[in-house]
Amino acid sequence: MSVSEFIDGPFWYFSLTVFVLGVLWRLFGMLTVGSRTDYSVPRSSATAAAIRTNLTRFLPNADFWSRVKLPVIAGYLFHLGLFALLFFAAPHIEFYREYITGFGWPALPEWAFILVSEIAFLGLLLLVLYRMMNPVTRRISSRGDYIGSVLIFVVMLTGCLALARSHETLRVVHFFTAELLLIYFPFSSLMHTFTWPFSRGFTGAHYGRRGVGV
Amino acid sequence: MSDNAISGLAMWIAALVLLSGALLQPAGASVNPPASSAPPSPIAVPNPATDLWRAVRQREMQIDSKTQARGVETGVLIASSGEEFRQFRMNDFVGVAGWFIVGAAALILLFYLLRGRIPIDGGRSGKVIKRFEDFDRIVHWLTAVLFIFLAVTGLTLLFGRFVILPVFGAEAFGVIASAAKEGHNLFGPLFLIAVSLLFIRFVVRNMPSPGDLKWLLTGGGIIGKGHVSAGYFNAGEKIWFWLAIVLGLVVSVSGLILDFPILGLEREAMQLALIVHGIAAIFFIAGSFGHIYIGTVGSEGSFDGMASGYVDTNWAKTHHDRWYDEVKDEAISADSSVVKQPISDRMQTTADKA
Repeated sequence: MSVSEFIDGPFWYFSLTVFVLGVLWRLFGMLTVGSRTDYSVPRSSATAAAIRTNLTRFLPNADFWSRVKLPVIAGYLFHLGLFALLFFAAPHIEFYREYITGFGWPALPEWAFILVSEIAFLGLLLLVLYRMMNPVTRRISSRGDYIGSVLIFVVMLTGCLALARSHETLRVVHFFTAELLLIYFPFSSLMHTFTWPFSRGFTGAHYGRRGVGV
Repeated sequence: MSDNAISGLAMWIAALVLLSGALLQPAGASVNPPASSAPPSPIAVPNPATDLWRAVRQREMQIDSKTQARGVETGVLIASSGEEFRQFRMNDFVGVAGWFIVGAAALILLFYLLRGRIPIDGGRSGKVIKRFEDFDRIVHWLTAVLFIFLAVTGLTLLFGRFVILPVFGAEAFGVIASAAKEGHNLFGPLFLIAVSLLFIRFVVRNMPSPGDLKWLLTGGGIIGKGHVSAGYFNAGEKIWFWLAIVLGLVVSVSGLILDFPILGLEREAMQLALIVHGIAAIFFIAGSFGHIYIGTVGSEGSFDGMASGYVDTNWAKTHHDRWYDEVKDEAISADSSVVKQPISDRMQTTADKA
């Protein structure tokens, strides 16, 4: 078995298994950890506050805007760009159809594909630099945060280097780095991809029940 | 019908007549020439294809060609100027550019060997002053990261055939060159954004000011003894800033032209863009050697400004005395947690700290 066959075959299934089981395990653990029963009379609906917080947290509090505009703007550039790349780039749709779903969907035109790549890269670079340069984010960042950022960057970079689709080696390198990311994903802060609604909801419910405006 | 068209048509007819004559000859006639006759001189026998190909290559005349394909220069069958440009690029430009880059690096090394590292007068004081805001450093490092990536991929495309191909072979070079091209094309437009941000963020501090001329005339202290008085940025730094902006814009705009051949520019415009792009990039890369040198090993304490945002007060007094006089009251301890966080601590996980 050649290296590329290994990466396309057994290693792909291994990384996908680790990713799916790891994410399910983390979510299961988080949702079943429970919390102490609160016997106090609720001052307002926890559910409504949870939903409201999920929506209002898409924008920062106006009082903080001047201090957080860079990470907020860069965050949106990166996340929206990555989402478009991941789910609407023609090569990725082709991959999902062949390996996972069995069906495809309309893809972005080539120029839009390039544009969202540029947007995602700009956002990611600004976010990583902000993490390193801002004294607060630098202090609260862990090794895992940097590893996650670097892995995402490397996966995106190898993908962009393989854009011409003229060399099998470049595709295999991109595929391999994406598999490494899948394996690392469940054990890192990248889990926020799935946990952010629960996290926001918990915070909103916690304070909403006590009548705190969120 | 124009004279050119008539001439072209006549040559096509002549070629067809000659070709049909050759086909109508008995097969043996061409395969077995008479044994007695001496082999004809290749010069004495006119090659009927010569005129045809001369016409096709349009060396001596411009044929008003027609084609179903719509686009720029689609009527050109063989672009002779393209080959001439390729020869110029491979034989003249690449060699000069290569020696220019090597020469710049050698000069920096020679300067370091002669001058050594410029120390901070009086050593580090233990007190620091804020020199760059967080966003200043983010913009600087964004530009730097993109510049280094583009320089490495660009040099790979320019010199790879001579440096990488002989070492790694054609297969590996094909992969490397393809990756370099895609990466270079994708990151190029981002560099224009970075250079624009750099301009907006730093332009006010890089405007000419009294004292710049004296700084220049003394070579920033190289000529004569002692350091030359300077404000927030000295004249050398200002020159580098304006060079970076101008060269950055030139490489970005010429790069965008090369990125979008569909915009309808003719071959000669694209060739010009490629050469302008190459020359500007080579000057930019050579200049960056000096910037990187003086910002790291060449001058003690200089790197601190872009690393932490703070510089030692003695460094400020040594290199930017007029700026130091303005901000000396804001000095804080170098051990302050705002200034310093050791790498080991920085890379420690939150769990480890707990």
